[in-house]
Amino acid sequence: MFGTEPILRIDNLHKTYRKHAVEVPVLRGVSLSVALAEFLAVVGMSGSGKSTMLHLMGILDSPDQGAVFLDGKRIDDLPAKQRDKLRNGTFGYIFQFYHLLPELTMLENVMAPAMIQHSIMGWMWNRRTIRKKAAELIERVGLSHRITHRPRELSGGEMQRAAIARALMNDPRVLLADEPTGNLDSANGQQIIALLRELNRDGLTIVMVTHHVELTHEADRIIRLTDGKVETETPLERSSAVQESEPATV
Amino acid sequence: MYKALLCWRYLRTRYLAFACIISVMLGVATLIVVNSVMSGFSEKLRDNLHALMADIVIESRGLDGFFDPKGKMDVIMKDPFLKDRIEAMNETLETFAMMQFRFPNGEQYTRPVKLIGVRPEARAEIGGFKEYLTQEGNRQNPTFDLPPQMKAHFLEIEKQALERAPATEFPANPELPPPPKGVETEIKIPQGCFVGNLIASFRKKDAAGETKDHFVMNPGDSVVLTTISGAKLTPVYDRFVVVDYFKSGLSEYDGNYIFVSLDYLQQLRTMPNRVTAIQVKLKSYEQEDAKKIVARIEELFPFENLKIATWEDKQGPLLAAIRIEKGILNVLLFMIVAVAGFGILAIFSMIVAEKTRDIGILKSLGASRLGVLQIFLGYGLLLGVVGAGLGSALGIWITLNINSVEKFIAKVTGMSVFDPSVYYFKEIPTCIHGSMVGMVNAGAIGIAVLFSIMPAFRAASLHPVRALRYE
Repeated sequence: MFGTEPILRIDNLHKTYRKHAVEVPVLRGVSLSVALAEFLAVVGMSGSGKSTMLHLMGILDSPDQGAVFLDGKRIDDLPAKQRDKLRNGTFGYIFQFYHLLPELTMLENVMAPAMIQHSIMGWMWNRRTIRKKAAELIERVGLSHRITHRPRELSGGEMQRAAIARALMNDPRVLLADEPTGNLDSANGQQIIALLRELNRDGLTIVMVTHHVELTHEADRIIRLTDGKVETETPLERSSAVQESEPATV
Repeated sequence: MYKALLCWRYLRTRYLAFACIISVMLGVATLIVVNSVMSGFSEKLRDNLHALMADIVIESRGLDGFFDPKGKMDVIMKDPFLKDRIEAMNETLETFAMMQFRFPNGEQYTRPVKLIGVRPEARAEIGGFKEYLTQEGNRQNPTFDLPPQMKAHFLEIEKQALERAPATEFPANPELPPPPKGVETEIKIPQGCFVGNLIASFRKKDAAGETKDHFVMNPGDSVVLTTISGAKLTPVYDRFVVVDYFKSGLSEYDGNYIFVSLDYLQQLRTMPNRVTAIQVKLKSYEQEDAKKIVARIEELFPFENLKIATWEDKQGPLLAAIRIEKGILNVLLFMIVAVAGFGILAIFSMIVAEKTRDIGILKSLGASRLGVLQIFLGYGLLLGVVGAGLGSALGIWITLNINSVEKFIAKVTGMSVFDPSVYYFKEIPTCIHGSMVGMVNAGAIGIAVLFSIMPAFRAASLHPVRALRYE
């Protein structure tokens, strides 16, 4: 069960992509709050602005207008160094295309956020603890037998599970998942959703963007974005019922 | 930590990077080989020149020389500043001469030479003399005296010549030019002389392609040396016997110098107690100290028309030319490394484009702009270090085996890269200076880092979202 205090809040976010003289407005004033330990699913058609919204929430990008708040403090206008720190320690990211570093083994990929966090001295001092923790996370996502493998040697589902382990490495407070099942078959997709739900039950706040509505049944709340605006917001108690009655969006 | 790990992995997995490494490696190796060979030539030349020349030379400005060299040496040795610094002094009389001798086929050969009158034992104390004589006995105790066997042989030849000579003289006729001087009736053993190796021989390749010295003048052969009298500028000449060769390794000396007895040359040129130079050997040669000694000697002889110089001053233009040549060559060769730098720039730009998504991933994981910058600068540094390291190893290996490499190239191409008959050295001289290797390495690594700055900045300024979406 999640709390009532919002951990993450976005207020009137606007974002327009510009290429030469062409302007494409993607977000047109999106506001929402994410409660602590909530599992929020954001659905919408392609181009509805859900991934852009996720990037702005995780301060991977800056809004043209509006603000992002973490624990009530504005974070989108922080200096670059502090935003880097937040991306490294507070937010965990999962992407549709896994985005593992191809030169590193799975263990090294999982340890990457900790490597970024620590200086060489810090790394040398804590390397055993970090390695142990990474191995535990890999075990938790069920990939202990693949620990020394490179990403190209893993299947899509394995890569996504490795990406989840990497996202959990620095104990993030919010996990931002951008179409985590978008590149997986149904069985693997279900496994990933089950894993996310398990993590959520352990207290992790999750914001998941997807266009597979059938995979949102584990979410506490569903938000539908249309043309850069929040079209509907399904409260917790209704989310399961809505999924059953509403058609899936593609 | 991730920066070092990624640098290392990029180095191992990106084959394009090997092109950078090879270009840096070849540039560094070339610089090391060329510098080592240039240094080898330069230092061998310096060593040979210094070994041959006294540390300081006091010389007259003309061929007339100066009077009382012994008195001048006494003045110098009594000076409190100089006496502790000077190890030995020796006077010489130098002049030009025409040398005439007969080839083994009987053909007469005449050429100009430089005639040096020395006292062999005293000259040996200055250095650069007896060690260049080819006879073992002369290397121990140099002398112009003919060895007993040679003397006996020469006596026999002279005796036979005397016997073959006509007994009667030409009758005097006032209408005809004066008759030639009558044939000597007494056997006179000529003075000995040391002849430059290249006067007595010429270099030629044999059937096997080996360069060898072919001697046309052998010990025991006689030569006629004609020079001028110091007093009246009239020609004077005498016959000398070759007792040894002088082989210093410098063609300028070996191809021109003939050493004879100082006392005899003074007598021949009617220049008693006059010499053209005093050679000074210092206890230890330091350039700055030598200059002070030169200044002090100049103070001692303010009214004498003397030219006093260190050996480096005397050879200044030659040494400066080598220095300038080396400098220009270094600038030109460094451009090779600069070209390698442009290769790094191009290849790095490609690698950054290829790694755009990885950069986005790193930024999404919290890597800072500086961190990404450091990855690519570190990558450039690593390429530079590896390239320079391999280049140093290759350059040093080639330098150490330069003569075998030269022979191999000559065998493969059919063209001789190094012709000993041109350079006189039989082998290519080399000298590897640690400081030179260090500077070449630092320069190459610096260029590798410098040319990776632009792609690294491009990588660092990539927007994380755009980088993640890059295809």
